[in-house]
Amino acid sequence: MNYFDQKEPPRREARLGACIACGGTLNKLAKRKMTCCLPDGERSFTQNSICLLLPALGMMNSITNSVVLMHGAIGCGSSSHGGNAAVRSGNTHRWGVVKDATWLSTALSEHDVIGGGEEKLDGAIREIDERYSPQIIFVVSSCAPGIIGDDIDGVAQQLQPDIKARILPVHCEGFKTKIWASAYDAVYHAIGRTFLQEPSEANQVNRLEKPTINLMNVSSMGRVDEVELERLLDALGFGVNIFPIFTQPDKMAAITRAQLSVSTCPTHDDYLLQYLKEKYAIPYVLRHMPIGIENTGLWLRDVAKHFGLEQQTEQFIAAEEQELKVALAEFKPFFAGKKAFVSAGEFRALSTAILLAELGFEVVAVRSFHHDEFADSEYEKLMKVTAEEIPVNIANCQPFEEANLLRRIKPDLFLGHMNGNATAAKSGVATHVIYNVGLQYVGYKGAYELARRLYRQLQNPQFNRQLSRWLPLPYRSSWYEADPFTYIWKPEVE
Amino acid sequence: MSYYIERPRYSCALGGAMATVQALPRTIPILHAPPGCASNTAWTQAGGCGLQVGGYCGGLSMPGSNVQEREVVFGGAERLEEEVRNCLDIMDGDLYFILTSCVTEIIGDDVRAVVNQFQANGVSVISAETGGFKGNSYTGYDLVLSSIWDQFVPVAGQPVKGKVNLWGIPPFYDVFWRGNLAGLRQLLLSQGLEVNTFFTVDDSLEAIRQAGQAELNIVVSDVYGLGAAQYAWEKHGIPYLTSPLPVGPSASSEFIAAVGTALKLEKTTVDAAINNACRRYYQLLDPMTDCFNDLDLQRYTVIIGDANYAVAINRFFIEDLGWLPQLVVFTDIVNPEQQTQLAAKVARLPSGVQPKTIFSTDTNDIRRQVKEYWHSRQSSCGKYSNPLSPSFVIGSALDRELAKDIGAAHLSVSFPVANRAVIERGYAGFNGALRLIEDLISVIIIGR
Repeated sequence: MNYFDQKEPPRREARLGACIACGGTLNKLAKRKMTCCLPDGERSFTQNSICLLLPALGMMNSITNSVVLMHGAIGCGSSSHGGNAAVRSGNTHRWGVVKDATWLSTALSEHDVIGGGEEKLDGAIREIDERYSPQIIFVVSSCAPGIIGDDIDGVAQQLQPDIKARILPVHCEGFKTKIWASAYDAVYHAIGRTFLQEPSEANQVNRLEKPTINLMNVSSMGRVDEVELERLLDALGFGVNIFPIFTQPDKMAAITRAQLSVSTCPTHDDYLLQYLKEKYAIPYVLRHMPIGIENTGLWLRDVAKHFGLEQQTEQFIAAEEQELKVALAEFKPFFAGKKAFVSAGEFRALSTAILLAELGFEVVAVRSFHHDEFADSEYEKLMKVTAEEIPVNIANCQPFEEANLLRRIKPDLFLGHMNGNATAAKSGVATHVIYNVGLQYVGYKGAYELARRLYRQLQNPQFNRQLSRWLPLPYRSSWYEADPFTYIWKPEVE
Repeated sequence: MSYYIERPRYSCALGGAMATVQALPRTIPILHAPPGCASNTAWTQAGGCGLQVGGYCGGLSMPGSNVQEREVVFGGAERLEEEVRNCLDIMDGDLYFILTSCVTEIIGDDVRAVVNQFQANGVSVISAETGGFKGNSYTGYDLVLSSIWDQFVPVAGQPVKGKVNLWGIPPFYDVFWRGNLAGLRQLLLSQGLEVNTFFTVDDSLEAIRQAGQAELNIVVSDVYGLGAAQYAWEKHGIPYLTSPLPVGPSASSEFIAAVGTALKLEKTTVDAAINNACRRYYQLLDPMTDCFNDLDLQRYTVIIGDANYAVAINRFFIEDLGWLPQLVVFTDIVNPEQQTQLAAKVARLPSGVQPKTIFSTDTNDIRRQVKEYWHSRQSSCGKYSNPLSPSFVIGSALDRELAKDIGAAHLSVSFPVANRAVIERGYAGFNGALRLIEDLISVIIIGR
């Protein structure tokens, strides 16, 4: 069955058996392939989390000449006030022009919830097409229309003949999945159904002369990271087509003319890359994340192997690694033996943990937002560079478990996602953000820049230390005595 | 009716409620909601609230039922009950505040039954029905305050002389909420009053619990928090006074006088206090007299703001600073009655300067209207022209493009404030107005 023939992509819980609730040690989890992490496993106490709407907006708000029409209550999408900073800087870095994102809301009222919101949506699309003249109108469904049964696909289909913009319905009902990485599927699905429907023969004639690679970026990398990967791929003789963030709608179909698609993170892109392979016969590489020294090499080797360029790639990697090794020598003694705790999306967390080990840190705990089979290999890699008994926690945030672990482990350094560093900060631990599109993380340059920032950060963690003296976390003292994984449902058989 | 709102300068009722409960002392919010509502608020705060996110239990630390399809189909009350029960074991708070969402309102979970069950066991837990579709963040603010008056504050037998409550400044969505509340609190304390402001670091749940003893509720807004004031009047018999957010000596003097009249304070004492505050304000301003005049710092202005700021800043500019507001744009969703009322607050000022009033929720529409007006006001004669220049746009971070269009300086004050860091800065009262002068002029002279 082709997923792209359906209105909505399947839930990742069903498609990948992805899960969000697990706690144990690295060796146990890795060797048993996360058997304690049951599909649809949960906690009997949970803190709030993220829904797929947020990362989806991060992608959609970046697309050139597009507007995002939220179909929902007036608050859905207000996160764009936060995301807008990345849109402004992203536009500046790519086109030299500051430009805000444009998002709109049908602002469903109580009356609409009772009577249905399709009429309002219809009116909004017509008016927006007229007033903003965008090339794309993303029509995004949030929870309320999902429950009352508004048919955004039907409205879009019916209106399209009258509308100049392409209407892309995107399903982001937050109550349908706890795996917010489903956001990538949701947006890819919408783009695929609208822009990538031409038969493959039409695209063959336009194959580009220089071997070109689709480099996937769903907004987990800033421009500065793209530049590093372009540098590496250019050195091997490849052209790069970055997709989908900040692309122009006219140029979306270029993705069907590349020789290879390369993901930087299997959590992001498998849904679309499989489609491109089936429909346009574009093979793909989706295995390693180019964060860390070893992993960047592995990532490059996968690409090179596809084109039979193994030998020159080995020389290139050796030269890069040598140069980096010399540069890092300044920091390594300072990092040696310092304990690091990492928390983020699964691949990001693991590859960053491995990089920290390469830099000389002792990795003492890892938390991943979810788990699916793609990451099994990363746990294996991590086990080779760190102790086998370290705690691993699969958690869609859940800072209460993190607070408990931090109290036990007392790391010197914590790397957490955006909005995920406050618990460690108030615990007095030096922190560094593991993902921020203004900073560099990827490739050899990224490894060096991260090391440089950690070197700076660790020289004076006094801000967080002082916070911890005066700001208690909102947990009872008894919680710190309890098993951090008390509230995770336990499987019958382990 | 418009079919949409462009870049709404607020979140939903739940978004406003979360921000409000986060600001209550030692309070644990518990969301009965799908997973994303909390992070949506955290990202909104990070981008719109002068870098202020959460507090004691904010961001992704807030407990929540994370409802999914299972709850949508079978109901979520049981899941909520489990969540609250475990929450009490883990989370350290003196008040637990359950907030509902679109999803749990539509499926009709009986949250009050869950609350009653825990209350019966002596747990300090209350709730508010804050489905996002009920309104914007200001509605959520009002709903939380109303719940406090309904479920947390006991009806007192007798009012205590000199005791007042003050609200009307929504936490986070007024980005300068801490400073504004603290400034007005200080103003009233100096009148010898006992003041409960709910959300500052100097407030406590104990004092909030005794809010029913007040002889007056003061709402410093023409729009926000009025529902709660009405409710407190009906249930607790506490009268209320509404005033626009007072910014600057003229408005603040009037505010003190109004409070004095409502509380029947000794007029000579009140007058002396006003006199004293004004003298102090101008003594502080005194050394800027030379430069203010020598640098020609008067500006034509566009004021773009929520119902509180648009009125307050316009009045301060016209009556105190001697600037020239040309357009006052209200970005809130307001009904025709409120429109008339707000427009009157802008129009009828003693000095007679009269800006044009616009009501628009959409950034691009505001930009278009302001540009049109600006261009229509450029008389010229040969090589001579008289545009509205020099000019200043005081609004939100979304109005930077507009400011560029008309060649004006710009300061973000009304939500979203993406490009400033705010801790306890405030613009209300006398001292607040001095802060505002500092900020405005610092923008103008930044290249000096």
